[in-house]
Amino acid sequence: MTVPRARSARQSFAVTIAGLSALLITAMLVSVTVGYRLYGLDQLYHAVFAFDGSETATVLVNLRLPRAILAPMVGAGLGVAGVLVQTLSRNRIASPDTLGLNAGASLAVVLASATLGITSLTGLSLVAALGALLTSMLVFAIAAGAGGISPIRIVLIGVTIAGLGQSVVQLILTSNEAQMQNLLFWLAGSFVDRPMALAINGLPFIAAGAAIAFALVRPLDALQADDATAVSLGVPVSLVRIGCFLAISLLSGAAVAMAGPVSFVGLVVPHAARRLAGQRHGPLMLAAALIGAIYTTLADVLARFVIYPVEAPVGAVTAVVGGLVLVLLLRGRAA
Amino acid sequence: MTANPAPSISIDSLTLAYPGKTVLDTVSLDIPRGKITVLAGPNGCGKSTLLRAIRRLHRPVSGRVMLEDIGVADLSEKALARHIGLLAQNPSAPEDMTVEELVRLGRYPHQTMLQRWDSQDTRALEAAMAGTGVTSLRDRPLGSLSGGQVQRVWIAMVLAQETEIVCLDEPVNHLDLAHQLDCLDLVRQLNAEFGRTVVLVLHDLNLAARYADQLVFMRDGGVAAYGTPDDLMTQDLIARVFNVDAMIITDPAYGRPLCLPLRTC
Amino acid sequence: MTPFLPALTATRAPLLLSIMTIATAVLALSGVAFGSSWIPIDRVAAVILGAGDKTQSLIVLQLRLPRVVIAILAGGGMAVAGFLLQKITRNSLASPGVLGVIDGGALGVVIFLAALSDKSNTLVTSIVFQPLAAMAGATLGIAAVFLLSGSQSVSAVRLLLFGIAVGAVAKALVMVMMLVGPIYRTSQAARWIAGAVNEVNWTEIQITALLLLPLLALALAVARKLPPADLDEISARSVGLDLPVFRLLVFAVAAALTAVSVAFVGAIGFVGLMAPHLARLIVGRSMVAGIIGSFLLGAFMLVGADLVVRVLFSPTEVPAGTVTAIIGAPYFLFLLMSKQRHDG
Repeated sequence: MTVPRARSARQSFAVTIAGLSALLITAMLVSVTVGYRLYGLDQLYHAVFAFDGSETATVLVNLRLPRAILAPMVGAGLGVAGVLVQTLSRNRIASPDTLGLNAGASLAVVLASATLGITSLTGLSLVAALGALLTSMLVFAIAAGAGGISPIRIVLIGVTIAGLGQSVVQLILTSNEAQMQNLLFWLAGSFVDRPMALAINGLPFIAAGAAIAFALVRPLDALQADDATAVSLGVPVSLVRIGCFLAISLLSGAAVAMAGPVSFVGLVVPHAARRLAGQRHGPLMLAAALIGAIYTTLADVLARFVIYPVEAPVGAVTAVVGGLVLVLLLRGRAA
Repeated sequence: MTANPAPSISIDSLTLAYPGKTVLDTVSLDIPRGKITVLAGPNGCGKSTLLRAIRRLHRPVSGRVMLEDIGVADLSEKALARHIGLLAQNPSAPEDMTVEELVRLGRYPHQTMLQRWDSQDTRALEAAMAGTGVTSLRDRPLGSLSGGQVQRVWIAMVLAQETEIVCLDEPVNHLDLAHQLDCLDLVRQLNAEFGRTVVLVLHDLNLAARYADQLVFMRDGGVAAYGTPDDLMTQDLIARVFNVDAMIITDPAYGRPLCLPLRTC
Repeated sequence: MTPFLPALTATRAPLLLSIMTIATAVLALSGVAFGSSWIPIDRVAAVILGAGDKTQSLIVLQLRLPRVVIAILAGGGMAVAGFLLQKITRNSLASPGVLGVIDGGALGVVIFLAALSDKSNTLVTSIVFQPLAAMAGATLGIAAVFLLSGSQSVSAVRLLLFGIAVGAVAKALVMVMMLVGPIYRTSQAARWIAGAVNEVNWTEIQITALLLLPLLALALAVARKLPPADLDEISARSVGLDLPVFRLLVFAVAAALTAVSVAFVGAIGFVGLMAPHLARLIVGRSMVAGIIGSFLLGAFMLVGADLVVRVLFSPTEVPAGTVTAIIGAPYFLFLLMSKQRHDG
């Protein structure tokens, strides 16, 4: 009785994943072809496989293609990071943003280039990941110091740390304006004018973060229960937490390095993923990666039209959606 | 389960302290195999701490907990989790988690990176759900269940762990009278049918006396007395351990000692 | 904690308030004296009293005095708003910054600037209406937080979470509105959002003062009813206070105070959180003394923050709001942690 049941669940999940993958590919194709100017798929094919230096080909390859590749990478990373943050804090309204990780990564990038003169993309990606890691540790340390990791307070602490980070960033930027002009590009939260090199640089970080996350699938399942239960099931809780911190920092640090702060993706996506894939982290994180990729790609397309002909930062689009979802979650007492 | 005279767990002069406070002071105690041992005592006597120390959730300052001839301190996390299951006080899991998803967690210590879910796991999962009567609830989210049902699901999770020792920390807290009986009857049934050694922390002295094979009274971080409920439920001892003047009668239905508290002393 | 302490501080309150007034006045005078050139305090006093030479008059009256005066008004106004909000929500973590008031106000201002500018980017209406736009936005912001939170608004931390959510949406909309608008609006709005007291002129100060003074009077008037508002709804009614209606009134006053305070200087974070807190620590539980103390401390903080950015970062104009945020955020975390301990 249970065997066919399991198989049918697995089959239906495979169908879900296949459907999401198809949707992702469609979204990416839309992202390349739809915008201020429309292009056909044949033009895309020509531009990629028979690049002739024409204006159309240049726009497609240098402007459209990078963002169609960056957006899903960032979205997938933030989606998985969101699941990790929510499990780690046992808090369904936590996300890399509400823990201040985006702000921490942005601050690290600004500090590093202002004081250490780091400008290479790899260097800044590393610095962003480091900033995210330190921020996550700071937030959890303060929460633990306050007498336990209470779900709601951890968000308040994270949001405050985020505000602090933003203020320091603002301080450095205004007192150092000329030097910082090129950094504003990190802080906008957008995929416009991002070189393909960013995607190549970000890939190892995203891959490493995802690898750690997926290696922790089963301990994470157990960590959904309280600590005492998890320990009594034999989960090395501290070790898993450290791994989680590392993965979250790599994923959200890389996302900031690639696009700047794209708000609330890590908040919204895990909820959608849970509806499709349930609570177990293997399917859940796979679904979160795909949904995050689709969501961010489509948000990036939408950002081209909300104040047409000007482009809005994709971060503004995801912030509006995310804020509304947060209200719904709070009203539904998901947290 | 052949009769084995060796105790399931022996606790040897265990001392445990939080910063600035000694919680357990050289506690020595044997937990008999295949029996139900109930730890009871006034608030702050260290009964929950002792239970958690047995499961190595706290590290002792000195002394040790032995499973036959292996020290609990020497086992890996997963190996220990295959010997002792623990139902924590007020355990928590996400409200949208389903019953089956929670019970599956009990199989965690039996799996490794390479060895995934197998038929043995499925069998244990089904047996645990059937044994606790939650099979029909398997796809329900925890948030939709009653308090008593949730407690059964948690017991199912511990059962799925298939450990010879099961520790339960105040499992009937916040349950109404019917569910208290229901839950403890279930525990006794598991003890009788599966031969599990059970260690329970209970607040209610009369429930403790009714379900315990061995009753342990604790006070001020030490064992005040242990033995059968008939031995321990005396006016004198209850006055000494709980500071309560009580009348001890025999309950007419089950023949167990029943404590009728009169006043504090 | 000890029973005689409130009485003791109550009798001391006038003395403490006088000390705070003097401290604020001294700081304000130093705020005028300091800058790219030092002007001795006696010269400052002379200029204010109508004497003094022409260059010094220009610097003092046109450049330095306006920012000090607006800092006093804005800091004080926001602190009083914070005091009212902390009292009425019975929540020491409440402040205009976290209840959607400031973000709502920012949205009001950018929409005002975007909608009422003509093609050449000049406002088609008087700048006098900017505070009204901020007020409308601020009121809508706090109203949204309370309407959405519904029955959960009684929980301190949950209310803040709704504030965060509403604030996030408003911030994102502000970002979008700024992109829609051309440079003039963008720089106006950006200055607003960072929270800076420079570039304020006397007209704007007059508008602020004219609106702020009646609101402060109103705040003092409602203060009398604040003690029974500490009670739960039913007990409050039994001592004769219709709490839901009164609560709305206080929210409206607080929102208006915040909006007017920030209408020209922009979002100054955390003053509305810290000042009332410290004021209560210093002057005790008396409502009137608390409001006056909050005003003085808020003024002191913002004048001080502005002085800090002028001394430390000159000649760059760093917004004073960043300083208050850098001091205020750790303070908020400290409160959060100590509150957690009390809650158990």
